[in-house]
This record gives sequence, C-alpha cells and structure tokens, in this order.
Amino acid sequence: MATDVSSPGWRWRGLGPAIPALALLALFFVIPVVSLLLRSVLEPQFGLQNYAELFATSTYARVFYNTFVVASLVTAVSLLLGYPVAWLLAIMPQRWANLVLAVILVSMWTNLLARTYAWMVLLQRTGVINTTLMKLGLISEPLALVKNLTGVTIGMTYIMLPFIILPLYASIRALDPTTLQAAALCGAGRWQAFRRVLLPLSAPGAAAGGLMVFVMSLGYFVTPALLGGTSHMMLAEMIAQLVQSLLNWGLGSAAAFLLLSVTLALYAVQIRFFGGMR
Amino acid sequence: MTPAFLSIRSLRQTYGSVVAVDDVSLEIPEGEFLTFLGPSGSGKSTTLYALAGFNEPTSGDILLRGASILSTPSHKRNIGMVFQRYTLFPHLNVRENVAFPLRVRGRPAAEIAAQVDRMLALVRLDGYGDRMPGHLSGGQQQRVALARALAYDPPVLLMDEPLSALDKKLREEIQIEIRRIHRETGVTILYVTHDQEEALRLSDRIAVFNHGRIEQVGSGRDLYHDPATRFVASFIGDSSFLDTAETKVAGERGRVVFPDGTVVADLPVHRSAGAASSGPAAGQVMVRPQSLRLDVKGQGLPVRVLDVTFLGDSSTVQFQTAWGQELWMRASAEAIAGVSPEATFHVNWNPAESHLFL
Amino acid sequence: MLLSYNRLGGLGLALWAITILVCLFLLVPIIFIAALSFGSSQWLVFPPPAWTLRWYRDLAADPRWLDAALTSAKVGVLSAALAVALGLMASFALVRGRFPGRNLLKALFLTPMVLPVIVFAVAIYALFLRIGLNGTLVGFVLAHTVLAFPFAVIPIVNSLEGFDKSIEDAAVLCGASPLRAKLKITLPAIRIGLFSAAIFAFLISWDEVVVAIFMASPDLQTLPVRIWGALRQDLTPVIAAASTILVAFTLLVMAAAALLRRRISK
Repeated sequence: MATDVSSPGWRWRGLGPAIPALALLALFFVIPVVSLLLRSVLEPQFGLQNYAELFATSTYARVFYNTFVVASLVTAVSLLLGYPVAWLLAIMPQRWANLVLAVILVSMWTNLLARTYAWMVLLQRTGVINTTLMKLGLISEPLALVKNLTGVTIGMTYIMLPFIILPLYASIRALDPTTLQAAALCGAGRWQAFRRVLLPLSAPGAAAGGLMVFVMSLGYFVTPALLGGTSHMMLAEMIAQLVQSLLNWGLGSAAAFLLLSVTLALYAVQIRFFGGMR
Repeated sequence: MTPAFLSIRSLRQTYGSVVAVDDVSLEIPEGEFLTFLGPSGSGKSTTLYALAGFNEPTSGDILLRGASILSTPSHKRNIGMVFQRYTLFPHLNVRENVAFPLRVRGRPAAEIAAQVDRMLALVRLDGYGDRMPGHLSGGQQQRVALARALAYDPPVLLMDEPLSALDKKLREEIQIEIRRIHRETGVTILYVTHDQEEALRLSDRIAVFNHGRIEQVGSGRDLYHDPATRFVASFIGDSSFLDTAETKVAGERGRVVFPDGTVVADLPVHRSAGAASSGPAAGQVMVRPQSLRLDVKGQGLPVRVLDVTFLGDSSTVQFQTAWGQELWMRASAEAIAGVSPEATFHVNWNPAESHLFL
Repeated sequence: MLLSYNRLGGLGLALWAITILVCLFLLVPIIFIAALSFGSSQWLVFPPPAWTLRWYRDLAADPRWLDAALTSAKVGVLSAALAVALGLMASFALVRGRFPGRNLLKALFLTPMVLPVIVFAVAIYALFLRIGLNGTLVGFVLAHTVLAFPFAVIPIVNSLEGFDKSIEDAAVLCGASPLRAKLKITLPAIRIGLFSAAIFAFLISWDEVVVAIFMASPDLQTLPVRIWGALRQDLTPVIAAASTILVAFTLLVMAAAALLRRRISK
C-alpha cells in the first residue's frame, strides 16, 4: 500500500482530467498556429525572404503604419473619453453606477457586426450625421466619414471604450479617498491634487487598460475591414487577403507572425509591469 | 492477545524528505473517546487522515476489528468524520444532508426518514430539517455535520478540530453536547485538537503528539500528574521549569542543588529517551503554578516578585530566582494579600508534586 | 475631494456631461438600428417615412437566413457543451492538481482569449483545408470550442476555487464514490460557475465572425457570416432586421441568465 514518492505518477498527480482539453488545444490551436508560423520561413522556399518582402514593399509598410496609427489613435481617444467616465463611475451612487455599467455591458455584448453596421449606416454620405449637419447649415457638402481613418477610429473607439472603462473603474474604485483629502490638507488645489495624486495613482490602471486596447486594436479585423477604405487597410485584413484571395501563404504567415510577436511582447510587458490581465 | 477494536501499528507518513508521522502505534478499545493533542504540524491530523483514507501511509498498518482497512477506499470504510470547516452540502437542506449517506447506501425511504429524525433529535435540531446550511449558525452546522456522520452508525467517528471555528462560549456548549452524544451512542471517537483544555474536558484518553511521534498516551490525570516528557509537562497544564546546578539520582528519586545553592530532595525522576541512566547530568525541575506556596518561615527557594496579576477566580504572581529564571505561582487573592513587586520571599512546594527531568 | 461624489462641484457636472455623452455614444447606434429595421426606407433614411415589418418578412422568406440562424444555434450549443465539459475537467486539474508547470498550463488555456483572432482563424483555416474540415459543422464546432474554452474555464476555476474540497471529502466518507461525490455534491455546488461558463461560451460562438468567415462554405454559414456577406454588398435594411434579432437574442440570453442565476443562488 506504500506510495513511492519519486514515481512519475505522484509527480504528475492531478494532471489527468486536463488531458482532453490539452489534446484539443494541442491539435486545434498550438499545432495549427505553430505550423502557420513555420510556413512563413518555408514557403515558397526556406529562408527569410517573406519577411524581407514585407519590410521592403511600400504597400505592406503602409499597412503596418496604418495599423499603428489607428491603434494609437483609438487608444488615445478611448483613454480621453473613458477616464472621466471611469472616474465618475467609481464614486457615483451605486444605483446610478449600476445603470451606467448596464449600458456598457449591453454595448459590449451586442453583436460586433450589428454595431459596426450601425456606424456604417450612421456615417455614410446620406447618413443621419451628414444630413443633420447639412440641415443645420454647418456644412454644405456631405463629409466623408466612412471608408477612411475617421470611420475606423470612430468605429473602433466605440468597440474599445468598455475595455478601457472597466479596468480603469476598478482601479480608481480601489483608491482610498482619504489620500486626496490628505492632499487637500497639504494645500493642494484641485488641479494640483489631480495632477500630483489622482493621476499618478490611477496611472497603472490607465496604462493597463490602454495597453490592452492597443494590443486588441492591432489585430482587429471586422471593424477596420468594413469602416476603413482600401487605402487604409490594417494588418488583420491584409493577412486575410494574402491567404484567402492571393493564396500567398508564406507572406500571410510572416505577417501573422509579426502580429503575434508584437501582441505577445506587449502582453508580456503588461504582465510584467501590471501583474496579469483580467 | 486478542487484537484491540482499532489498532494503529507503526504508522509512518513521509512527504519527500519530510516525516509527518513517525512510527505511531495505538491500541484503541471500542467505545473509547481518544484525543490526539498536539501543536499544528505534529502529525495528529495526518494520522487521522490516514484513518479516513485521504492519504496512504508510507508504511505501517491500521486494523479495525483485526482486519486491515488500508486497502479499502475511503467511501467503503464506513467511517464517520466531522471536519474543521463546515462541510454541509450547500445545495441540500438539513434533512437531505443527514439523509445523504443513507441514500448512497440505498436504504429504503421510510428507514431513511426515521433515521434522519432520530439523528436530528440526537443533536437537538428537530424542526430544523428544512433549513438550508447557509441559514444556520456555525454551531448548528457542526451539529448537522455530526448527525450526518453518525447517521449510518459508523464504528468509528473522526473529528478534526470540529470546534476551532467557533467562539469560546459556543465551543464549551458543544463540547458538552459531544460528551452526551458519545455517552448515548457509545461510538468510538478519535478527536483531534490543539486545545489542551478541550482535550481534558472531552477525552477518556489523550495521545500527545509532537514532531510526528506520540510522546505519551494516558488519561488527562496521568498526563498532568505524571508527564513522561518535558514536552507533555509543558503542553498539559501550566508549568515553570528551573535549571539545576547539580543533580543526584537514586532510584526513582532525585536530589538537586539549584544555582543559588538551595537544595531540594525527593523529586520524582523522569528520564528522557536520550539521557544517560546515571551520572551527574544537570536536570530540570518542573513545578506547577498551584503547587507553589509562600513560606513565611524563610525556608525554600528565595525569589523576588516581578508582577502580580488579578484574574478573578485566582491571582498569579510572577517571581524571579536569584539566577534570573522566572517562576509562576497561582493562588487565591487572600493567600497572596500583601505581595507586591520588588518584595522578596521564599517559596516552597511539595517535592512529590514536581518533577525532575533528566 | 476629487474622490468624494458630493464635493466635486462644477467638475462633477463636467464628468456627468462626458459620461452621459459616452453612454449615448454606446447606446444610440444600437437603438438606431432597431428603429431602422422597422422603417420603410430602402435607403435607411432617418427618421423613417413610415413603419413596416417588411424587412422581417423578407428575412423570414429567405431560407438562407433561417438556415444560418439554425447553424449558429447548433454550433453555439455544441461548442458551449464541449467547452464546458472539457473546461470542467481541466479546472479540476488546475485547481486541485499539484504537478510541475501548472501555471504554464493555465496560461496555455487562456491564450486563445488573447491571441489575435485573425492569427488563429488563418491557422485553423490552413489546417482544416488540409484535413477537409472546412465548411463542416465539426470544423465550426472545434474552432469555436477553442475560442470559447478560456471563457468557460475562467468561471469554473473561480467557482471551484471557492468550493471547499472538504465538502467533497465529507461526501466520500459518507459512502459516495469519488465520482459520485463530484457529480452529486461538487457539481451542484459550483453550478453557478458552470452556468456562467455555458452562457459565455455560447455567446462567444454565437457572435464570432472572423473564424466563421474563413470556415464558412456557401452551404454552411452562421448568422454573422450571412450578415458579413450581405454587408459587403449593400446596406439593405434586411441586415438591420437581422442585427436587431441578433441583439435581441443576446439580450434575452443575458437577461434569462441573470434571472436564472439569481434563482439558482437562492
């Protein structure tokens, strides 16, 4: 009846029930992703030519640039709009906060395509925004709001706002109001108290949320593909086109690998400095 | 020799290089209330878990009515257990909780109903059958757990610090209940606690655990009056230990000279396992606080008063010997009237009530 | 001061203004689509000149939409069931196992959630092309199970961590076999976690677009793929109707889930 402590059975105690899930993820997640990445150095022949081509071709470089610009813009706008909301949300009476949270959750769980479709309709040349502005006499010609950077930024910000508000809300809520009372007693005015106390204290939450939004934006597919123009293509759409329309798997895989490495690197930064993701 | 009702033989449990239980043997007669007493990490819970079948001993054996139970899985051992935390099934009401072991055993519904009623009456929770565990107090939950563990008439009931989550007053109330239930059912109980008072209050016998070994097994009286080791002496009851300058042993009695020259003779001697059987080894003298008396005639050990504490039913006085060791006395407030810090006295005690440990 | 609601003064007003604007920004498009789906204008003029159910009738008349909805439901239910079953077993290993690399395993289990979907979509598309699972129900279910898996594991692990294993041990000592103790005692005790896992997993699959676009064939499409295809052609109000149904369904599932959860936890 004695148990041999050094036997492998004891060492791997409790792993058993994870095996089916492990098998699923190995077969249908790890293996396909790894073999996709391998294709970037194997097709059409072994070498780094795909990566060389990606960086050398101006069309592709332009896509990287676009992707970076859109992700930065979306992150900045989301932070600017989301910070005041998270702030108020953290201190407002609970029943109001519940209402605002409900709005955010409903928006988050509404089908992505439905939401993107809504913006396509709202922003089009004959859409409500243009007609209203023209009726008010603010503009004489309809503005080009869609199939360009404006459209993508509006649509993506709309999608990303909840992802910045919720973590920021949690981190501001965790702050102790007495620290700000202490700041006031020390003679700090409102602006001073904000700049020297509230902002630095909430910065980790803002940075964590911002980083998450930035990373998510980098790889976003649906919204940019529908709201952006062909001249404003982003990385995810390019990958899809490379493999689906152009059947250039080598180049597509190389682009996917770049996206993957940037994403994982940024998540690593996040885990390292902000202690994990929630 | 006929085998005992329950015997634990040379039980040993190691985890890697850590020895949790080291050669524990016990013979337990049917119907006994035996407590495993010891500090945390002393191996008492590990021994209990081996009985429950939650861990497989590295070596040794456990026999119930002469047959080894080690190869029987937990759920077929038919042993009852009450845990440290409240372990009622949260989605079942009180009745269903108590009925669970009977349902598992496929007993007929009418029998289950009758037995559940009996059990709820036993733990004095009749009328609580429809309550959910979340709506019960901690004490009530543990009583339901007790009813559930006894519902299938197990030959042995294990209790792993079942009262440690309760406050002192409630704990004493339930201790009385447990004693009553033990009397009424006659079930053999193995009870784990680190609380010596609880152990003394409840048990027929106590096994004192330390570092994975049993230091002594005996009734509370035995352990208190005749501790086998320094550890038992210090763990059961309050005590003070005094160093000696010189020790002379003749048979079972010893004579010591304290560092200040005071001589005390006729001390009962206890040899620890490692000590040489003869020779002038410097032993330690253990005195219980209530054995000490002030000696007005100026005989005994000269001491200085450090502090006097009033505790209601009694008072304690903290002394210091000439060589700097501390010594406690417990006495009625009248007996120590007029004792105040910095005063010097002589203290005395009946040597037969103290112990010399070698 | 800055964190005391009642002492914000004029600043509070500014914060409220931004909050209300953001709430409107989040809510208006959804309401707008729902309204347009009942409007008579082909060109989505707002406010609509008249109200009609025409687009819903068009939707119902086209069997491809119904087929797509059915496929979505089938894929969602199967993926959720698979993700919850595998997630439940995996959670036992993650919470109770004591083996080297447990944290690594946990990280692996959560990776499908953080990896850009496009990378996974292209990768699984390549694999399924090779083994002939593209455009099949099995392919959809497998791919969506991978994506839904982290969302199933998280609530189950959380509830299992909050469950005292002694309770299961008590059931075993009461005479229940380890498996029976898990089925009769542990699973009911963590049912809220299981339930959340099922809802999350289902909604992840139900709303998933990117993988589905790659996986779909003309014969087998989920609802989001249908909408995607239609969107790329024109902005017909039929899409508004389909979107409204999709949103209504999601809200219904969430509301039902919230209600059920409240009832379960009583």
